[in-house]
Amino acid sequence: MQTHPNRRDMLALLAAAGGAASLPGLAFASEGADPVYQAFDAASRHDPWTLGFTDAPATGLDGVPQRLHGRLPDGLAGTLYRNGPARFSRDEWRYRHWFDGDGMVHAWHLAPGEPVTHRARFVETPKWRDEEAAGRFLMPTFGSQPPNTRGMRGPDDMNAANTSVMVLDGQLMALWEGGSAWQLDAQTLASQGPRNWGDGLDGLPFSAHPKVDPDGTVWNFGQAPAQEALVIWQLRRDGSLRRAELVGDIPGGMIHDFAVTDRSLVFLVGNLRWAGPQLPYLDSFRWDDSRAMQVIAIDKSDWSKRRVWELPPGFLFHVGGAWEDVDGTIHVDAALSEDARMATIGARDVMLGRPSPESEGGSRMHMITLYPDGRFERAAFNDGGAEFPQVDPRYTGLARRFTWHVGWPDGQVRGASQLVERNLLSGATRRFDFGTDVVVEEPLFIPRDRAAEEGDGWLVHTALNKQARASELHIFEARRLEDGPVASWRLPYACPLGFHGCWQAA
Amino acid sequence: MMMTAMILAACLGSAAQDEANLTVHVDGFSEARGAVMMAVFASAESWNGGDPVAGSRVEVSGDTVTVSFSSLPAGDYAIRMFHDVDGDGELNVNLMGIPSEPFAFSNNARGNFGPASWQDAVFQLVPGENTHSLDLR
Repeated sequence: MQTHPNRRDMLALLAAAGGAASLPGLAFASEGADPVYQAFDAASRHDPWTLGFTDAPATGLDGVPQRLHGRLPDGLAGTLYRNGPARFSRDEWRYRHWFDGDGMVHAWHLAPGEPVTHRARFVETPKWRDEEAAGRFLMPTFGSQPPNTRGMRGPDDMNAANTSVMVLDGQLMALWEGGSAWQLDAQTLASQGPRNWGDGLDGLPFSAHPKVDPDGTVWNFGQAPAQEALVIWQLRRDGSLRRAELVGDIPGGMIHDFAVTDRSLVFLVGNLRWAGPQLPYLDSFRWDDSRAMQVIAIDKSDWSKRRVWELPPGFLFHVGGAWEDVDGTIHVDAALSEDARMATIGARDVMLGRPSPESEGGSRMHMITLYPDGRFERAAFNDGGAEFPQVDPRYTGLARRFTWHVGWPDGQVRGASQLVERNLLSGATRRFDFGTDVVVEEPLFIPRDRAAEEGDGWLVHTALNKQARASELHIFEARRLEDGPVASWRLPYACPLGFHGCWQAA
Repeated sequence: MMMTAMILAACLGSAAQDEANLTVHVDGFSEARGAVMMAVFASAESWNGGDPVAGSRVEVSGDTVTVSFSSLPAGDYAIRMFHDVDGDGELNVNLMGIPSEPFAFSNNARGNFGPASWQDAVFQLVPGENTHSLDLR
């Protein structure tokens, strides 16, 4: 593998990935100023939406947000941890893809009678530390090839630790999908190093969407697309390893999320397929809609047993959740799109500081029913864009009614402005729209108490208020979503937009 | 005949003079235990799956290790090495086949989806003494 493909090769690669049109003036340091850096710099002067993709301070952030209205609901106390890319440029050279930014983990502490506090720290991977010391990027990343990079000794050399967070038996971890989970101190957010789950398991991919069964068993996967395989992880609630094995014959479609039922692990394999190793890594995948989107259900108790369904081609990042009937019928909802332009174009355009009209619309929630005889039904909810689906965590893998997600009206190009509750059975929605000044981030559903029925609780989420140039925290009574937040706080600063979070009750 | 003898003498003479010694300094050890396992290759063909022309195992007991090779013909070479931390003689790999013990190639070259290429790792040994430094960090 050449470290520095020549310009013609690069253009061919990007064209193949569908991204050349959106990247005028491909940048190479040897050709002087970086046009991507310059384009973003210019956009940031007039478009406050770019605050969502602006570098955060290397030393982190600490703040006490101002209460805008309302108060912390009785019974809601804990920490909202979130993660997202927050460092995009060094030495006036800017990453080409949103997913490349180094991870910053946020902790919002909510305690009765105390001010809400916010703390954020970068995950100090070796990549982060070396690049911070060098003052420039040193490693290739998911979607970028900075000038004069080093080669890699393993996937963790490019671990951005930027996608999600989990707390397992008190241990906070920043999650990526191509390498190790990264352990952090849950209070200080200080980095502690990669999690090694056991002998021969160091450095293996541990994806950003682990699922927790009602009995506390944790399931996760890591993809080895070149080997057409998945590492499947089964962990006990105390974080100890129950089992991890390589399961083969899984098409190398980029798999970001999955679902569990009480009996199955359900993988939706989209049509952005592995086509051979390339740098940047994203270019190893090509759109291929000549084949079906596969859904593969692996038996939780015997990983050699599987069922496969073939659906129309498509793409997805996120799954809501799944459940399985007695006869083996699986129900799963997911945010599907017709193509992978969000990954190959949209997430590149944001690095230029411009929204991507080509990706408008993007993903919509879909309900998929997979029958034991191989038939399927797939229905789209055609009521606007949707992403970041979440479920009541107590119903993971079980029959349920609700999914909560962010939404946006068709044609809106600068991010989500809505929170949506969707009843999967009736199709009914409740919706609150903050308006176009606000970019809404992933909502988490927190049940009121153990005995509360599904959907009785709160939604907690963060948002970027572009007009105020500040990040906000909002709490909703889930059953009165359309009434707007019952309490809101605003930081004295704006944080880059994040991806995923988790809630740790006090 | 006279000419043949002269050529033969020249060749023999140059063969002796073309011998190279190589001293490799390795640092950046994360743990002062186990051993350095080092192999020297003399061609792109052998680099990509053939046999090395020389190899050495040296115990690790401090921050640096020195590995020496003598009487190699001058020419192009490349080195593969790993730190056999647990001393089992094998490069440990994880479930996906990715090395889990530190490794390095000559010129501190790195690959991206696998070993460094011969082209990136090759260096020249000249007649006499040669030194090369590898960093495991």
